[in-house]
Amino acid sequence: VNGVLPLQAQADPLAVLREIVQAARPDADLGLIRRAYDVAAAWHDGQIRLSGDPYITHPLAVATIVAELGGSDQALCAALLHDTTEYTPCTSAELNREFGLEIAGLVAGIAALDQCRNASTLGQAIAAVEAADPRVLAIKIADRLHNMRTVAFVSPGKQFRKATEAREVFVPAARLLHLETVGSELEALASATLSRARHVRSASGRLLTAMAALLPPDTRARWREEWLGELHILPARRHRARFAAHTVLGVPRLAVTLRRPAPGSRQAHP
Amino acid sequence: MKYAIKMTGSVQQVLRAMLADPAAPRYGLEIAKLADLETGTVYPVMARLETVGWVESSWEDPELGVRERRPRRRYYQLTRDGAEQARVALAEISRIRDKRRATLSAVQPGTLGASL
Repeated sequence: VNGVLPLQAQADPLAVLREIVQAARPDADLGLIRRAYDVAAAWHDGQIRLSGDPYITHPLAVATIVAELGGSDQALCAALLHDTTEYTPCTSAELNREFGLEIAGLVAGIAALDQCRNASTLGQAIAAVEAADPRVLAIKIADRLHNMRTVAFVSPGKQFRKATEAREVFVPAARLLHLETVGSELEALASATLSRARHVRSASGRLLTAMAALLPPDTRARWREEWLGELHILPARRHRARFAAHTVLGVPRLAVTLRRPAPGSRQAHP
Repeated sequence: MKYAIKMTGSVQQVLRAMLADPAAPRYGLEIAKLADLETGTVYPVMARLETVGWVESSWEDPELGVRERRPRRRYYQLTRDGAEQARVALAEISRIRDKRRATLSAVQPGTLGASL
């Protein structure tokens, strides 16, 4: 894997990570971290996240969070490599040859945690999380934090699952490891996502969603999100039902307005 | 005078409400409350005002919503040009209304019927 070029030639993608690591640990092995990045970038080459970013931006962001938590060189490398064995043909044996048993073991631990989570209930997931290596757990928490920061790009159903799991499993895990800032941010992100999801599923939310479908296609998402956001402000269900009913009455006029801009108007910006 | 937008009663109410603090960004529900209108009236008015460039709307910084554990809000704000034109239009409308009221009150009670 020698001679792999960084994805972006214009700026070093590792600049931020390097700065954080050097500030925390002047003796950090930056060469090793660079190599882990290059290997991960090579394996993920061509993969794209739902946000449209190259996949490698995710492990890099996770490693940056781990660095902010004061992670060791091994933990940072494992963070950079954490999805290689699951989402690329790269094997644990290959990581072992390239980076040694410790880093390969951490990556395997992360993958194992994912496996048990996929196959089990929330209660079993909590048990598995509590039994895991603290470094594995910290990387997994950083992984979920970055996923929650970018949760807007996944489907509403998946948002709900990820947020529930974040709140039930990863927030307590973060508290367990005394990662207070990460725990609070994760809790806030999960709560915001869950409150949005709750309104999407309510009768008022479904009514507003159905009516938004009558608007011109390129405007639907905006009005739907705007209205669902307003639902959140209203204290009681009857207020929300009243809001939905009144808003719905204005939809035909809104649709006409959006289709035909007023005469003599400037060109509307989409 | 012809305005960029038809100055219906609800348009006037929305503009008066927003001109009370022209620089303040406001969300739809807030405008409805301030203007004493139903949201079903307010959103189409906001869409029209936006189309003619009197009002601009944008999402708030999502981090703000996350901090308060709620979805992000859509905020409306008068443009500089919109605030200016809205002031002119509302002033002219109240001038016309005052004039009409003055004309009516100049007529002595009962005399209007007698002259018919």
